[in-house]
Amino acid sequence: MKTPFRLEDHPRRWPQPLSSPPTGYFEQLPTRVMARVAPAAPRPRPLAWLLRAPAALRTGLASTLLLGTFAASLWLGGAPLAPPTAPTASLDGVPPAQLVEYLTSGETHVDLLDLAELPAHHLGITKQYLQPSATELRAALDAQPADEAGLL
Amino acid sequence: MEDHEILAKFREPASRNLAFNQLVRKYQQRVYWHVRKMVIDHADADDLTQDVFVKVWKHLANFRQDAQLFTWIYRIATNECLSFLQSKRRRFFLPLNDVGAELAAKLAADPAVAGDEIELKLQRAILRLPDKQRLVFNLRYYDEMPYEQMAEVTGTSVGALKASYHHAARKIEDYVTNADHETPSTGEVD
Repeated sequence: MKTPFRLEDHPRRWPQPLSSPPTGYFEQLPTRVMARVAPAAPRPRPLAWLLRAPAALRTGLASTLLLGTFAASLWLGGAPLAPPTAPTASLDGVPPAQLVEYLTSGETHVDLLDLAELPAHHLGITKQYLQPSATELRAALDAQPADEAGLL
Repeated sequence: MEDHEILAKFREPASRNLAFNQLVRKYQQRVYWHVRKMVIDHADADDLTQDVFVKVWKHLANFRQDAQLFTWIYRIATNECLSFLQSKRRRFFLPLNDVGAELAAKLAADPAVAGDEIELKLQRAILRLPDKQRLVFNLRYYDEMPYEQMAEVTGTSVGALKASYHHAARKIEDYVTNADHETPSTGEVD
């Protein structure tokens, strides 16, 4: 016959029924708990000063940074701000006869009116690259249609 | 140091750390063992005990002295234990019996219990109780806590606690008595 088990007859394990924690555990536990609850030391933040700066200063810095970025992008990747050489420089080596032929040919979109206005706005501009002789000029003029001759 | 002294010092920023250190030293063993009996494993009990005191630190400034300090700490520890066991089941989608079996395996590996057959049967029987009933049993049987304090800790009426304890004790006695004739697997029973 089974003997009924009764709690009050059983010797109670005191203070606790399970094995003890490692030696020194309760000596170290307060230190470990305090380490967790202690406020963490503030880490140095490289831009912390910026957060404390006045709003006007932050706005100014942001604007400067934006402009600088824009200028840098233009300088590094955009078109050159000024042409490396004047447009006339590449024309110096072209014979005058070819220039006249090009300008008076029907394939260009430059008409005689443009040719008449250009020297009026930029006096002497043709002296750098166009030195036609009187014969060449006469021949060129003679080749033009009679109705446009009055424009010259 | 008395609780009211600890609380008074804790309110002063200059002595806050010192007061809390005293509080941990005063209650660490009771909290640890309360937690340990619920989770069995020392590593889990260690983590949870620290978590309990971290929570105590965070909320101690708001502690109202209409309850005893240690019952308030016990209440935090109890909630931590129940949450831990609940999340363990939820995390691994484990049925109740599997968590009970895991705790029983840890229990069987505990050298303080392993060599004592009756004690091992008793601890297995305790592990088969539902978490809350196991908690009630531990508070009463091992900690000898008065029912009134248990009511503060668990938020349950004294009458319900008495009924729960006696029901748990009867189930344990039945289990240990008939343990030789039952399967060795452990787990929670209602």
